[in-house]
Amino acid sequence: MKRIEVKLSIPVVSPLLDVIKQLAGDLGSMPAVPAALPAVDPELKEAWTAELLTSQQADVTVLLSLFGEDFFTDGVVYFDPGNAEPIARACSAVRLRVRERYLKPLGDEALEAGEVDLGKLPEPVRKAFMCYLFLATIQELIIQHLDESIIES
Amino acid sequence: MRFSQAKSNPLSQPQGATELQTDGGWKVVVLNDPVNLMSYVVLVFKKVFGFDESTARKHMLEVHERGRSIVWSGLREKAEAYAFTLQQWHLTAVLEPDEAH
Repeated sequence: MKRIEVKLSIPVVSPLLDVIKQLAGDLGSMPAVPAALPAVDPELKEAWTAELLTSQQADVTVLLSLFGEDFFTDGVVYFDPGNAEPIARACSAVRLRVRERYLKPLGDEALEAGEVDLGKLPEPVRKAFMCYLFLATIQELIIQHLDESIIES
Repeated sequence: MRFSQAKSNPLSQPQGATELQTDGGWKVVVLNDPVNLMSYVVLVFKKVFGFDESTARKHMLEVHERGRSIVWSGLREKAEAYAFTLQQWHLTAVLEPDEAH
């Protein structure tokens, strides 16, 4: 089984985990992207949203489990075919919430092009943007090394 | 139908000729967003629709450059299942009636 081991800087990553944990609460009550069903009946919409939230919460739980006690001992996280898919999805969900909560004033074009001057950002937004980049890096790692296991699962 | 069942096999519901006549066609349209990585969108298209690399990239670029791409069309129930799965992967998808039907 393919397994990626990544050593991270604990002092750098710790503050970013605060952002993820804070937004994880939001993701328990609100889908990361709105559902767009035309003329759907309320029961279907309710079931759709409930199942979506359950899946979203489960994914974020797997993401946060990377950063348990062991992480704060050695700074190492592991990705394998068992956690790659939920973590890739959770990174997307949290990044969407980070953008919604903190990064909208930066403008979508600047965000998409990565043209953001970190030095000019106020501290909470800077931390949120670092978290946004950190989660993108995790996604890239997973896609680069474990995409086949995700597609085949 | 549980949506999670649809996730694992959105094409599992057999469709009869009667339903084909009355249901009409629906398009699953993926919309651009400024957040999801291009490589992630390609991965999702390969995973959800079974696209090969070049087809997945073609649809991803269409989303990126034109703001939308029709990734599937057919009966409503399947279209809803695909839209749900795409939403589980946090892509923005909408259903639109397929005027061709």
